Amino acid sequence: MSIETQADQPESPTNRPDSTHRMKEWFSRPYVRRILIIFIALNIIIIPIAWLVIHFLELSGGPASSIMEEIETTIFVFTLVSAPLMAATAAVLIYSLFGWGLIKSEEPPMQESPAIRTNAVAVVGWITATSLLAAFLVIWGLVELATITADSYGSTPSSQQPNATKPIDINVTGQQWVWTFEYPDQQRIQSDILVVPINTPLYFNVTSKDVIHSFWVVEMGVKIDANPGAVTNTGFTANKLGTFNIRCAELCGMHHAYMETKVQVVTQAQFDSWIREQGGKRTA
Amino acid sequence: MSQTAVIHEQKAVPQPKQHGKPGGFLYRANIFTGLIGGIGAAVITYAIGDKLVPWGTQNADFSQVGLNALVFCTFAAWVIGFMVGIGAFAGPIRWALGHDLTHVDAEYMAGKGQGRMKYWKYTTDHKVVGIQYLIMALVLFGFGGFFAMLIRTELGATWREVFDPNFYNSLIGTHGIVMIIAMIIVVAGPLGNFIMPLMIGARDMAFPRLNALSFWLLFAAVPPLVLNLVMGGIRDGWTAYQPLGTQAPIGMIGYQVCIITFAFSTGIAGVNLITTIVTMRARGMTWARTPIFIIGTLAAAIMGLIWFPMFQYAQVLAASDKVLGTSFFIPQQGGSVWLYENLFWLLGHPEVYVIVVPATAGILELMVVFLRKPLFSYKLAVAGFAGVVGISAVVWVHHMYMTGFAPAAGYPFMLSTELISIPFGFLVLVMLGTMWRGKAWNRLPMMAVYAVIIDKIIGGITGVYLSDVPVDQYMHGSMFVVAHFHYMLMGAGLFAAMGVIAYWFPKMTGRMFDERIGKIGFWTAFLAFQVTFLSMFVAGLQGMPRRVLQFDNAFEISNWISTIGAYCIGIGMLIFLYALITSWRGGKIAPANPWGANTLEWQTETPVPLANFPVLPVVTSDPYNYGVPDPYLKVQEQLDQDDNETVGAR
Repeated sequence: MSIETQADQPESPTNRPDSTHRMKEWFSRPYVRRILIIFIALNIIIIPIAWLVIHFLELSGGPASSIMEEIETTIFVFTLVSAPLMAATAAVLIYSLFGWGLIKSEEPPMQESPAIRTNAVAVVGWITATSLLAAFLVIWGLVELATITADSYGSTPSSQQPNATKPIDINVTGQQWVWTFEYPDQQRIQSDILVVPINTPLYFNVTSKDVIHSFWVVEMGVKIDANPGAVTNTGFTANKLGTFNIRCAELCGMHHAYMETKVQVVTQAQFDSWIREQGGKRTA
Repeated sequence: MSQTAVIHEQKAVPQPKQHGKPGGFLYRANIFTGLIGGIGAAVITYAIGDKLVPWGTQNADFSQVGLNALVFCTFAAWVIGFMVGIGAFAGPIRWALGHDLTHVDAEYMAGKGQGRMKYWKYTTDHKVVGIQYLIMALVLFGFGGFFAMLIRTELGATWREVFDPNFYNSLIGTHGIVMIIAMIIVVAGPLGNFIMPLMIGARDMAFPRLNALSFWLLFAAVPPLVLNLVMGGIRDGWTAYQPLGTQAPIGMIGYQVCIITFAFSTGIAGVNLITTIVTMRARGMTWARTPIFIIGTLAAAIMGLIWFPMFQYAQVLAASDKVLGTSFFIPQQGGSVWLYENLFWLLGHPEVYVIVVPATAGILELMVVFLRKPLFSYKLAVAGFAGVVGISAVVWVHHMYMTGFAPAAGYPFMLSTELISIPFGFLVLVMLGTMWRGKAWNRLPMMAVYAVIIDKIIGGITGVYLSDVPVDQYMHGSMFVVAHFHYMLMGAGLFAAMGVIAYWFPKMTGRMFDERIGKIGFWTAFLAFQVTFLSMFVAGLQGMPRRVLQFDNAFEISNWISTIGAYCIGIGMLIFLYALITSWRGGKIAPANPWGANTLEWQTETPVPLANFPVLPVVTSDPYNYGVPDPYLKVQEQLDQDDNETVGAR
């Protein structure tokens, strides 16, 4: 029975070329080689673009905190990881325009192209590759999110380590169209610019008096909405001296564009004297 | 080659007995009676309400409640009055009174023997509704584009304020929502109504009267929205976040009435599209033989139908806060601003796919024709659309990473948002595979394919940054976001719509599209688009927040470049519009099938007769029967042969 069945079947296994042979033939095709060259060239072009993106990010003087450094790394890595996908698409586009060429005619062209209905290798390969890229992005993102969350909130009193620096609490209040900063542990002094000591964790309690604002410390890479009727939290540790920007990142009415102020990162001594000038005494 | 192969004889269907006689209000109603009804109802309501409503005595916090209620009722009266005046309820009322429409009435309502007047009436023919949608979309793009030019003028004039800040805030909001509505209707409206029934071999939509209803509801929804600019404006952007919306003047009511009405319109259109596609495909058109544009339209209609009610509900609650003095979104009185944001983005994100999916499906449809190749992996394309529909339900929180309402929600929503790039990747592969080894026919629609793929890749990759919570912590609310979504909505949506409209233009208007002038406009707009928005990415990376009218000197240069680019987009679009109008009025008469395409809509004559097909077609093959056997296969067989011989010899 089994012998008969075997005899009925065509001798497909022997007729079928092995996969390495087919791959070799495929890579020997002139258009495949040219597309591969364009693909590799485009991938190389992406690297300076990734640097350029980081350059634009740093134009205003950042990064000034570990959070912003993490963000820049992430952007750089994402640009590089996206590069193959972008380059593959662009390579096929470029080759379609200039390699396979265009037909100029008034009437529908009679010459027809090869009827490729599907290709299992291409489909499986593409799905695998894009899924792996997406998986990489997801995992990287989750790890980074955990890292920056620790950088922002890790300094809350509840999770404080015995010998960690005690964070400075700062209450941020947005109202149309100014920011107010209150230092509850420094005799509740108030200020309309944010003055913070370097290398000290800061913990912000952000709220709003009227509509939604968004507290964006640009060069620190920190942003959180200021909602009326609720307190949101964020935090960072400045690691660079200087003056940086705070902007409102949520449309909040007429003078939204002007709702910005500065953050001054100063040394601990300067910070203490600033507090004394403001009428308080450094208690901690 | 064509999809129609077997003609099947049509039997005469016995007509049911008719009651009543033709004539009456149905025959007289048109847009002018509609306008009279709408404006009349609005004026009467305002006059009566003005006497009845006690002004400003309701509530100490909300002294405007009385005025808001009055304006709301006036707008609602406009919508209802207009719909009555145009004859939307004439049919149901006749039915309720016991005499249904006669056959003659039905034919009259479908626009038989009315010449151009049918475009101004409550016409049920899907082809008329399609053209009406197209004109409406063009008008809305005109408004939105004009507002965009004003916005860029303000941003380009870095040395002074050109507009009052409140007016500027209204401008950006109105530009946003007008463009969103225009983008939602520009493919699914004209092409979903005109082309889709032809493409599946149907005589009309499943519910012709609902079809007319959906269009005229949209028509009625627009005036309250555009009027907001003279009524104090919507000063809180197109998202209309609360409680800024509660502060806004009466213009905000116009926005809310518009959205509530428009959501009815999309819901009705969605039901109609879905029913038509599922039940009215021609005999033999199995799901595997359904053109991909139909699948894309179905996907968009499903998303719109499920998610639009969220947006509508949010606006009903917001309007109730203003009109009745409730406090759903007023935190000082126990409301929640986060509730509004959630309801808004539950639609807000799927809506992007409602725009992009039919545009992409249209692009796939025309690629096949211009490359003379079958669609690469049809099933993968369907899987891509299905994946987008599925995952789109669970990504909305990525617009709210920075609201602080649930910091831990960042983890799952970052996962789902990055997952949605996988089904989108399927569609990219389908495009590349269809392009693979094809010689493209150099016509305007095909050029749109290249343009759209470039934009989609740039928009997609910048979207990957934004989906990531840490990066979004920097980018959120910046110009980077603005540039990203313009790449998706305008780059991948509007340019696709331009290509798709140019492709189906001969069937819709009976004229050939003037490609010489059209291409000049298209490429001007496309190149200027790149200049404008690449430069805007730079401003965003530098830290420029969105929705501002004055900004740091550091952003000046990129804004100047963007403004010049934006003006050039405007010029390019005007050239394209000129080509569209001149070819519509006096273009070359189009043959029935100028592209040599296989799908059913090209098999019937142009202009399309009232009943679409003389006899209903029967489908015997899939629509993508293009192409010749692969020449490389022969080479490979030869090689294999040689190989086997060598093996045999050994």
